[in-house]
Amino acid sequence: MEGLAGLALGIALVGLGFWTLVVRRNLIWKLLGLDVAAGGSILFLVALGYRPGGRPAIVGLGPGPAVDPLPQALVLTAIVIHFATLALALVYVVLLTHRRHTQDVRRLEAEERWPQP
Amino acid sequence: MAAALSGVLAYLAFGLLGLIGRPRLFSLLALAAGVATFSLWAPGFPEVLVGGLPWGIAVAGDPWTLGMWALGLTLHGAVLLHGRARKEEFHPLITLLIGTCLAGALSRDLFNLFVLMDLSSLLATILVVWERRERAVWAAFRYLVLTEVGLILYLMGLGLVYARTGTLSITALAQLGLGFSEPILAVGAGLLVAGTAVKTGVFLLGLWLPPAHDQAPTEVSAVLSGLVVKVGVVALARLSEAFPLGPILVILGALTGFGGIAYALWEKDIKIFLAHHTASQLGYMLLGLGLGMELGALLYAVAHGFFKGLLFLAAGSGVVQTGKREIKELAGRLSWPVAVGLGVGTWAIAGLPPLAGFAAKGFLSQGAPFWAKAVFSGLGIGTAASFSKLIPLLRPIGTGPVGGLAVLVAGVMGLGLGAFFFVPELREPRAVAEAALVAGVGYALHWPLRRWPLRFPELGLDRSLVSLLFGTLGIVILALFLR
Repeated sequence: MEGLAGLALGIALVGLGFWTLVVRRNLIWKLLGLDVAAGGSILFLVALGYRPGGRPAIVGLGPGPAVDPLPQALVLTAIVIHFATLALALVYVVLLTHRRHTQDVRRLEAEERWPQP
Repeated sequence: MAAALSGVLAYLAFGLLGLIGRPRLFSLLALAAGVATFSLWAPGFPEVLVGGLPWGIAVAGDPWTLGMWALGLTLHGAVLLHGRARKEEFHPLITLLIGTCLAGALSRDLFNLFVLMDLSSLLATILVVWERRERAVWAAFRYLVLTEVGLILYLMGLGLVYARTGTLSITALAQLGLGFSEPILAVGAGLLVAGTAVKTGVFLLGLWLPPAHDQAPTEVSAVLSGLVVKVGVVALARLSEAFPLGPILVILGALTGFGGIAYALWEKDIKIFLAHHTASQLGYMLLGLGLGMELGALLYAVAHGFFKGLLFLAAGSGVVQTGKREIKELAGRLSWPVAVGLGVGTWAIAGLPPLAGFAAKGFLSQGAPFWAKAVFSGLGIGTAASFSKLIPLLRPIGTGPVGGLAVLVAGVMGLGLGAFFFVPELREPRAVAEAALVAGVGYALHWPLRRWPLRFPELGLDRSLVSLLFGTLGIVILALFLR
């Protein structure tokens, strides 16, 4: 049951994040949506490794079946990667804000049609 | 195996050392180490689990790895030579990017591929904004956001496949032979393909590609289009070993081929034009993979790396030297080396004998069913028609720096002539006549097409995201339908 709830929550978060990413015009909001979606995908991965009644996958934590340790190992790497991506994207938002004085996608793209330097 | 891994390690280590100091020296050392290790493992090696059972990372030196290494090392040499005046961290970052791509070609593990694809996107966007131009920053932002969305989808697909099969190794998945037997697997494989297609820059899914390849500095455009995009193609080739992806890849290939050509046909800016053609040439590779002609797809990927790298280097140098970007305005202003580079590249991409494009297209159309040959001819005619625009540029004046153009001209000619002389099927008059006919029809068509230009909608960030999500939905539904 807990596994299923985790899966459903993960998918819901991914959907919510993508919705925010598409609908919001502000770049910071878009990145927040992206972060929520990334968090949802991580929760989804961890929940897929869940086994009913499983204990945490740490050696020496007592008897009984453990949850699948591999998704948790993968998730560690994925979290680092998402963090790096988000940080880099924020750097680009800072650069754009300094130059264009706006974080609105439509205004940024309208100015895109200016002639090339 | 040890040689290949130490080559990757040398690339990453020298790249990091170059960030501290002596950037060009360490990049040169990385290239030397790469060539040395490549010559050590060159005939290839069978699959090995690094780290042992049960969770080691599978690496193998198969033809795809060989091709990507040859392409990556040649491109690195050309870029080092061409951008030798570039300072600071430019060359170390290029070294790291190429090292990542070399590692990606070795890997046969779904998660490892995910990490390397994401790392290559991160490094690539840093290089795209290298000259700190506003438009380049915007292009890099789009690139980063779209590939991140694609890789979130990839991660979910990977989770589903792992939950069902308990393995992440391509070989183990292929041996299980489950295919799309269960809905979970079909959805998982669909998400994996969609994520990789976004990273590859397939039309309608990876619409980050045209602005990013257009705005990047000259050498970076060449590496992005020549090598980084190919990591995604390698990943798709690996995935098609594990899952029956044939129809999906054929549909994606036709879509990206004709979509890219439609946008390129009436494009006036030379770098955007070349960027749309990267998407269109991906069509050949995906169609080849989808039809099960792995060798043809591989040869096309390598040939495309050479001639598109050459075209981007030449066009970028021309744009930098003249300060103009419109094809019409560039005519009669280019220097000799740039014009020769553009000429050889155009000759090759149009598929005329005996250069690399002819050999690659010949390999693909051999053994293809009739309808696939018709699709290939259609793509060839479209490519030739849109590249006819570049013919007025071949009136050079004066001389200029040659740089890395010579390396890639040699690559295009070497690959093409080698295949032409060693494969007798390519020398048959019929193959030569077909290639000439396709290029001729394309050239003839470009006159009427130029008279009646079509306008396609501009593809901003939001539209690209929506088309990405709908494209993914389409792929997943198709995978479920194919079950």
